[in-house]
Formats: sequence, C-alpha cells, structure tokens
Amino acid sequence: MTATRRSPRPPSGFLWRAPTRPGGATPLPLERKTGVEYDTAWARRYPVRLVRAMVLDDVTIPLVRTVAKPTIYGRGAIEHLEGPLIVTANHTSHLDTALLLSCLPPSRRHHTVVAAAADYFFDRHWKATLSAFGLGAIPMERQKVNRRSADAAAELIDDGWSLVIFPEGGRSPHGWGQEFKGGAAYLARRCGVPVVPVHIRGARAVLPRGDDSIRSRLRRGEVQVRFGAPLWPNDGEDARRFSSRIEAAVALLADEAETDWWSARVRASRGESPPFRGPDVSPWRRAWSLPESADPVPRRETGVPGSGADGATAWDRR
Amino acid sequence: MSPRPGFVLEVDRSTPPTLFWHGEGFRLERLPSGSRVIYAPEPLPALKDPDAAIRHALESPLGDAAPLRSLLRPGMRLTIAFDDISLPLPPMQAPDIRQRVIEAVLEIAAEVGVDDVVLIAALALHRRMTDDELRHALGERIFNAFAPYGLLTQHDAEDPKNLVDLGQTDQGEDVEINKRAAESDLLVYVNINLVAMDGGHKSVATGLASYKSLRHHHNVRTMLHSRSFMDRHHSELHSSNWRMGTLIKDAGVNVFQIETTLNTDTFPEQFRFLQRREWEWNLRDRAGFLASSKALERTPPEIARRIFHSIRAPHQMTSVQAGEVGPVHDRTLENLYRQQLVPVEGQSDILTMGIPFICPYNVNSIMNPILVACLGLGYFFNLYRGKPLVREGGVVIMSHPTPWAFNPVHHPSYIDFFEQVLSETTDLLEIESKYEAAFATDPWYVHLYRTSYAYHGVHPFYMWYWCAHALSHVGKVIVVGGDRAAVRRLGFTPASTLSDALEMAEDVVGRDPTITHLHAPPLLMADVQ
Amino acid sequence: MKALVFERQLARFAASRLASTLVGSGLGVGVGPLELLEIDPFQLPGSGYVRVAPRLAGICGSDLATLDGRSSRYFEHIVSFPFVPGHEVVGDVIGGALDGRRVVVEPVLGCEARGIDPPCPACSNGDKGRCEHIAFGDLEPGLQTGYCADTGGGWSAQLVAHESQLHLMPDHVSDEAAVMIEPTACAVHAAYSSVHTASGRRVVVLGAGTLGLCTTAALRSLVLPGVLVVVAKHPEQRRLARALGADHVVEPDEVVRAARRLTGSLGLGRDGGAIDRLTGGVDVVFDCVGSADSLETSLAITRPGGEIVMVGMPGPVKVDLAPLWHREVTLRGAYAYGSEDTPAGRRSTFEVAQDLVEDAHLEQLVSGRYPLERYEEAIAHAAAAGRRGSVKIVFDMRRQPRDRDRHSDRDKETDET
Repeated sequence: MTATRRSPRPPSGFLWRAPTRPGGATPLPLERKTGVEYDTAWARRYPVRLVRAMVLDDVTIPLVRTVAKPTIYGRGAIEHLEGPLIVTANHTSHLDTALLLSCLPPSRRHHTVVAAAADYFFDRHWKATLSAFGLGAIPMERQKVNRRSADAAAELIDDGWSLVIFPEGGRSPHGWGQEFKGGAAYLARRCGVPVVPVHIRGARAVLPRGDDSIRSRLRRGEVQVRFGAPLWPNDGEDARRFSSRIEAAVALLADEAETDWWSARVRASRGESPPFRGPDVSPWRRAWSLPESADPVPRRETGVPGSGADGATAWDRR
Repeated sequence: MSPRPGFVLEVDRSTPPTLFWHGEGFRLERLPSGSRVIYAPEPLPALKDPDAAIRHALESPLGDAAPLRSLLRPGMRLTIAFDDISLPLPPMQAPDIRQRVIEAVLEIAAEVGVDDVVLIAALALHRRMTDDELRHALGERIFNAFAPYGLLTQHDAEDPKNLVDLGQTDQGEDVEINKRAAESDLLVYVNINLVAMDGGHKSVATGLASYKSLRHHHNVRTMLHSRSFMDRHHSELHSSNWRMGTLIKDAGVNVFQIETTLNTDTFPEQFRFLQRREWEWNLRDRAGFLASSKALERTPPEIARRIFHSIRAPHQMTSVQAGEVGPVHDRTLENLYRQQLVPVEGQSDILTMGIPFICPYNVNSIMNPILVACLGLGYFFNLYRGKPLVREGGVVIMSHPTPWAFNPVHHPSYIDFFEQVLSETTDLLEIESKYEAAFATDPWYVHLYRTSYAYHGVHPFYMWYWCAHALSHVGKVIVVGGDRAAVRRLGFTPASTLSDALEMAEDVVGRDPTITHLHAPPLLMADVQ
Repeated sequence: MKALVFERQLARFAASRLASTLVGSGLGVGVGPLELLEIDPFQLPGSGYVRVAPRLAGICGSDLATLDGRSSRYFEHIVSFPFVPGHEVVGDVIGGALDGRRVVVEPVLGCEARGIDPPCPACSNGDKGRCEHIAFGDLEPGLQTGYCADTGGGWSAQLVAHESQLHLMPDHVSDEAAVMIEPTACAVHAAYSSVHTASGRRVVVLGAGTLGLCTTAALRSLVLPGVLVVVAKHPEQRRLARALGADHVVEPDEVVRAARRLTGSLGLGRDGGAIDRLTGGVDVVFDCVGSADSLETSLAITRPGGEIVMVGMPGPVKVDLAPLWHREVTLRGAYAYGSEDTPAGRRSTFEVAQDLVEDAHLEQLVSGRYPLERYEEAIAHAAAAGRRGSVKIVFDMRRQPRDRDRHSDRDKETDET
C-alpha cells in the first residue's frame, strides 16, 4: 500500500449539486414579503373568491353560529345601502371577524375585505396566506396610518370593496373598549364612504383572550351584534373628531345592548352613557365592574371544575 | 329528624364489621367485643343563605372591630389573605367558601372604591397552588379580575424583599411575615376552620410567616408541650402563635379576621356509606361499598388515587364570624365543637384508626409514608380535648397501604428525608439538631418551593415533629397492611391483618386490652373525661 | 494436574456470550470455552521461576466478564490462549529456596518476570502495572498470571511464578486474608492515585462488590475523605459498606439525590421533578462497576472540575461525554498496583494492602469456597454474589490431591485432622 497525496481541488459535482456561492458575491434579498408588504391581490381573483365564499358559507359561518348563536339587531340600516362601506366594531375576541362577516348581508359578505394586524396575521408567510385566503384579510399597521397599507385599502374601497376594521387596533385585554384609532375615519373621508358602527356583545364570553388552547377557552354562548346607522364624515371634520364620533356611536350601541334603545338614548342625551372604555380605576375594579355579558365566567359557578393539578402527573416513584 | 350527636358504640356480638379507611380503599374489620367505636356527629344543617350570612358577619363584626365597610376607604391598601389548598379536605364542591367570602368583601371594596387590593394565598411553607386550584378556591371571576394583573399572589417565605421583620415576642420569638400584608392599611384573613387547630392568631402568624418565624413553634419542644395541638388552651403551638399575633397587632397590622365552619357532610352521594353507621347501611349502601371496594381492588393505584382526589366534598357552611381575632376565634371554636365534639369516657390501651387517602399536604398528590405517619400520629391522635384516647404506653394501630411512593414535584425534600434521614435515625431531637438546618436552607429546595410546586425543604421535618406528642406517649405503633420496608423505615411495626396487630399489641399492653376505634373521617374531636 | 482451562474457541465464546445474555451472567459457563481438564504441569519458563500450588484463588469481576464473553477486544493481543484463569492467589511454593513457604502471587507479568533487561521505565520505577512489555520477552503475551499461556493461573493445582512475583505470608495471616490482598491492592492503588483530590472532600464509591468495599476501606484508612458515600444495592453490601467506613450508604436509584443533598447542589431534570444531573456535585467518584450506567451516573454527580476514577474494569460502553467536556471532569483509570508513595515512604502496594486487609478484617469478604470440580456453581455464585448476600467467591484447593510424589505425607495429615 502506498500513501498518495493529492493536490487540493475545488468542490466538484457542480452540475449535480446546487452551486456554492463565491465569498465575494452578495446574496440576493429574499423574495418573500410579509407584513404590510404582503400582496393580497391573488386572494381577490375570482377562483379564489369562489372557494373562499364556499368555505365561508359552508364551514366557517355554520361553525360560528353553532358556538356563538349571534342575534342581529338593526341590520336594516345597511341592507339597502349601495356601494362600499367601512364596518367598524369593538374587538374582544378572535371570533369577532367571523361573526361580523356572518352577520353582513350575503351579497356584501363576499365583497368585503378585513383589515388585519400586519404584525400578527401577516408576520409569517403561511399565516399571511391563510388570513388572506380564509377571511379576505389585508395587512394593516396597528399603531399608525401606514401610507402603503392605507393606499392599498383606499384603492380597494374605490374599487367597490367594503372594509371591516376594528379601530381599537387589537383585542381588548380586559373586556372594556379601547381608544379608536383614526384609520377608519381617515379612509372614510378619503374615499367618501359611510362608516357603519357595530357593537358585538358577549363574544369574549365565548372565546376570551388567553394563553390556553382555543379548545379550553371556548364555551358556548349567545352573542348580540348591533348595527347602528351609517355615519358620514361632516364637512370640515377632521379624522380625529370623526373617529371619536364613531367611538361614541359604538359606545351608544354598547349601552343599548345592556339596557334598551330608549334608555341608552336618554342617557346619551344627558351625557350619562356608561364609559365605553370602562371606569378610570384600578385594573381589578375595572375587571370587577365589567358587565356580565363581557365576562367569560358566569357570576357564580356551580358544579365541579377540572381538578387536574399541573405537574402532578408523575405519581409513582417505584 | 334533627342530626344526631356523636356516638360511642360498644361492640357486641351482633355488631356488624367496622369500616376502616385504608388509603384509597377501605377494610371491614371485626373488632373484639367490648371495643369502642367513636362516630362523628351527623352533619349540622347548613346556613340557609350563606351569602346573606357572610354579608351580615361583615356588617356586624365581633369584638371591637368596626363593620368592614367603615374600615374601607378609597386610596387605602387592602390585602386579602386566604387559606391555601390544605383546606378543606377533601376540597369542597364549588362555590368554595373562600370564593363566597372574598366576593362579598370585594363587592364592598368595589362600592367604596378601593383601588389597591392584593390577594395572597397564605401558603406558609406549603407548595404553591396551581392556577386550576386557585380558580377552584376563588372562582373564575376573582381569578380573572386579579391574576392577569399580578394582584393574585402566593406567599413566598423565601423572598427577602417581600418579608418584614416585626421584632421579637417577650419569649424571644422572631416575627417575620409577608411585607405586603404587614404594610397594608387592612389585612382581611379568610379562614376555613376545618379542625380546631385552624384559625385564630395562627392564621397570620403561621400562614404568612417565614421559616425564621415558624421555627419558634414548629419544633419538637413545642409539639411535646401541645396536648393536644387541637386544644388551643393546652397547646404551646397556639400560645406561641398568640404571642406572635399580639405582637403583630401591636406592630400596627390591622387584621380583620373572617372564620367559617363546616358541617361533617364530607362525601358525595356515591360514597354516602362512608359517613353512615354500619348497622344502618341499607341495601344501596351495602351495594355501594361492595361495588367500590371490588372495583378498587382491580384498579391500579394511580387511577384509584385520581378517582379519590377528584372527590369534591359537599361540605356546607354552618357559621361565619368576622371581626377581631380573639372573639371571632372563640365563637368559631364554639361552632366547631358544636359539630365535632364527642364525649368519651376514659382512655383505652389500644387506639385503632383507618388512615384515608388524603391529608392537608397531599391534595392532588400522593400520600407518602411520612404523611401517613403525620395524619395518624399528628392529626388523628391529637383530635382530643382533655386526655389522649389511648393511655400512656398504649398502642396505636393504623391501617394504610403506606406505599413507598412520593410525588417528586410536590415532595422532593420528603424523598430525601425518607431515604437519607429516616434511614439513619427516627429520633426526633437527633433529626432536629442534626438535619433540620441543612434541609431548611438547601438552595435546591428553596428553588423548587419558590418556582415549582414543592413543599419547603423543612416541611417533612414538621410532619415528623407533628408526631412528637404521640411518639413520646405511646409504646408502639403498628401499621396494618402497609408496605413493610416503608413502615419499618418509619420506625413502626408492620402487620398484615388487624388481628395480628392486636396480638402484637398485647406484648406491650397485656392481655385483653381495651380498644377504641376512631371512626374518622368525617372528622370529630373526642372530649375525653 | 487438574486445571480450569480457557481456550480460544470462537463458537463456544459466542455461545457463552449468548447464554449470559439470555439466562444471566455466570450461567453460560457450561457452554463456554472454560473446561476442567487434566493437564501436564507447566514448564518453568526461565530462571527465577518456581512452582506454586494454589491454596485459595479468587474469582474476580474481570474473570466473569471474560467468561461471559464480554471483555473488551482490547485484551486480544495481551492475553495468550489457552490460559488458566485466576490471578488472586495464595499458595505454597514447591521446590527452590522457598519450598513450602506460603506466598501471595502478585500477578502482573512485568519486565522482570519476562526476563527483559533493562526493564521499561515504569517497571524500573516500581510501577509494574504500567509495564510496557506485557506482550514480549520470555513469556507469551499476558498482562497477568491468569491470562498467560505460559504461567498457568490460580484455578488449578499448580502454576509457575517468578520469584519477583511472590510475597511471603506470615503465619498469622489466614488464607482468606491472603487471597484478599490482590483485590485490596487494586483498591489501595486507586485510593492513593487520588489522595490529593479526594482527601477531606466529598467522595462517592459506586458499587459495593469486592472492589467497591475494598475501595471504601482503602479510602477510609488511607485517604480520609470528608464525606464518603457508598452506593450499594443489596442489604449485606450495605451492612459491610457501613462497617468498612461509609458515612452514608444509599441505593443506586438514590445516589443522585443523595449527592445533591450532601453537596447542597442544584439539580437539572425533567418537569416531573426528577433530577437527571447536578449543576454542582461531589469531588471524586470511584466507579467500581465500569458499566455505561455507572459512568453516566458518575458524570451526572461529579462537580465541574471533579474527577472520576474507573476502578472496575469497563468494556466497550456508549456514553455521552458532553458533560465530561463541558464540566472539565477528569476521567482516569486505576489498574493494578506496583509501588505507592505513602507517608512512610515508597512501599509496595501489596504490603500496604496486606496491612489494610489485617486492619479492616477484609477476610470477612470471603464468603464462598468451592472445589475446582464445582466450578460452574462457583462461577454462577460469583456472578450473583451481591444478590445472594456474598462478596468474594474463591476456589479452595487446600483439599485437592496435590503432586502425589512430594506431598502425599502432608495430604494424609490434612485428611486426618
């Protein structure tokens, strides 16, 4: 046996293997875009819309109606409106989007896009694809008006699409309302379309926010969805003031949900509507004063809840 | 028919066999003629409207305490401490008493507008409660209003930042308790007084204390001088706690004590036979016993354990009192004795007891051998007022499978105590002087106590000290049907049957001994004349 | 003469391995390569050699591994077939100047026994166990008497040994004590090898067979550890470990917890609360088992920078060495003996071992004696020694008929008494 020595050779098998990159070359940027950059146009092509419509009508909505049993009030206000609308609602549960879609008139339902948080629903490519396909979602920046996402939304509204948007910018951590951000008002003014205020009552009791699995959080319940009269921006009214008008309209619907149409209006006229964002007190008192409908627990439970102690699975040592 | 009081049966030849608890199961044993069996009083009727009773107690407190509403004001610091998972036993059906009481307190606090409210589970050195357990004890409404904001806390006796030293009692006992509780404008303590030991000044002085403070009354000397620790006026454990309680009060901690008592309705419908007297078992009870004991024979121990630990007791509240600690506790004891006290004539040579599946320290867990010893010789032996049920130098016979099994999450230091301490010695004072400090300060146990669900490193020592009075009083301890190695490790004598055990006991107490059987649970307290 | 002979027969080798796997260690002897044969006495291989008639010869763990077919292939080139096993030997010298004297054989076959001059550096320093010439010289390869085709071994009526291998036994040392000197010497060597790392520190001895117990005794009297924990499985082992100086005796499944508590270390483990390994740990572990499990345990309980001494003979083991690397643990072997630096100057390990055997009464570890004819039983007993409440099993040749010409008188005497 002889020991041979070869001179070092560059890596071979070029045509059979992917090429290695020379040290001096800069890699091309990754093609896939997420967040507000994600382009959802594909999800509004006819074949995709058709499939989405079928999934929405035959799977998603029946499921939502089974667990949440929505009762709709005041939909007459929008049934005969022509043209695109901006639908704004309070947001306490992941169920809200599907609930709202299920409560829109069918003709409008399939011509609606949903503004969804770019950093939550569009952060991964697969999530973006799923959101765009399943709900017709478009990415929207939560905190500020982003030129790109605003332009995209405005273009769609101009195209005749209605927009569902949650102006609170995310699900409420405590069940009370949060400040409405200006996006919906801005779009309404820019495109000259009306805003429909909606209040959803009881969704948090069906599927509260939380870290546990959806299955363990989900409880059956009854949900009320209240549509208010459409609001048009007044002349000379800026987006911020229009936005607070929208919030007030949703707050009125919230009071109506707890009392009745008349008392809510009387109280509103006297400026005595209960605060939409809850009392300005410590967290526990806000939670304590939450109306029963917004609370994921019945006030006094009976029966035996699960007794499984975490980590107590290893019973025997020998 | 009004509930019957407790009863002492004298066994004769027509007495049916007597039920003995045996861990996750039962045995039927024939006691010799002339033996006595002590039965608990039947459950007292529950309060008709517990919520109204709670509101009433809060509005018209005992002693020199003002009504709760007048003690509350906006801008104050309010702390509500409550008993942990160790009470009541078995855990009660929802709604738990703590939920009822604390909801009532919070309703008032919300109306008054108290913003700064914190809840503390008064764990002392017990394991932390899981979220599920907290939800069960407090109800979801309280849990959801407090837990997400970090306002539902569990006492951490190893967190120096959250402890405050209030000084020493006249006997030189350090008093170090939870800082938040001590520095609040009002501390509301919500008790469930299952046995006479619970409550009083022991609530705050023990439940919210640290090891530095606890070691003054959780030690061999104190336990030897507590006869029994269930009888507050003859208990050094309580004297020490009362001294500490006085000091806490003098230090300016404003305690609003709420105590509640339960009736003896301990087991749900399917286990109804467990709280009936054997000669009154009807067809359904007998069938129930037969079915459950046969089924349990064929059930693997872990599953049997799960079944038993899923029992939720139908306990009902028989009284609630609130206000100043002393008067509240006196009223509580009256109510508790009204339910639990059974007059018994004189001591006997042998005391027999069936040890059930649960004790205060193994809820949702394993009843390990140390806990078996503690429940039998600590708790059951001490369920007396006056004199122990067994004479000095007598024999205690316990019935429990005593498996060599531990829950490594809940009882890590117990395993080491059993393997490394009891294998060397079972002598109380030697254990205390040689090993306690090392276990109490072991960083691993501290870590597990604070971050996992483990009892504190020193806790198995306290279990052992709890047996001190019994160990110094009796001549021999026999365990029927236990794992031999485990029973021997405890320093006790294993026996396969009760008759063997009685034979063995005769070596100590002589021929034809007198025998008393403690038919518990349901819990009772013997008033021995 | 009668001898148990171990031959190189691959088929029987495989059979014994299979049998030991199927029915248990020590039970595959019947089908294995060990046979009781009538053979001719060995030739004296060179000058300085004498014949020794064994009185007692121990069965060692390494013998069992060989018989089970589990010893490492590493030994292939440093043993020679056929050989007569048995390296723990006390016997009588036949012929020569020492005729009739009782001796213990120091079995390592170093340069001197092999007639190699000049000797290798290790041998010239007295460290015979580290001899570099164990396959060369006048003898066939063989690391010890009992593994060499030319010398024979203890499991027979006669072997040959070099004068340098003999240690004269005074009369007050019983045969049982004498036969314990060889294993004790291993333990003494292991103990001295870590005298600086283990003295006053926290030490664990894994295993309480012969080696474990001898190591316990050696540590207690020569090294003085701060805390000495011995891991013992069986009740008799626990009793002996305690008697020989263990501070704590724990069961195998308790050792991690015990080490944790004694060192006040923190633990790492699964969510279930079990501790898999310690973040700190003990200073030195003496692994007197030599299995993958024991090495794994050792690595789990040794502190960073600590030391593991392998006293038991390991075979090929699969073990995760990440902790060895990460915790900078020293893993060290301790084989055989030679000379030790004792407080009283440099002494032969055997001499130190002899003192220790006498002081600690290690003859109490000899708990079973069998004639050669019952070798299958003897080996099965040795393999199950712990379980059966015994420690050291030996072959007893004191009642065997010896070389008839020379020793008939004495045999008669023995028979009469």
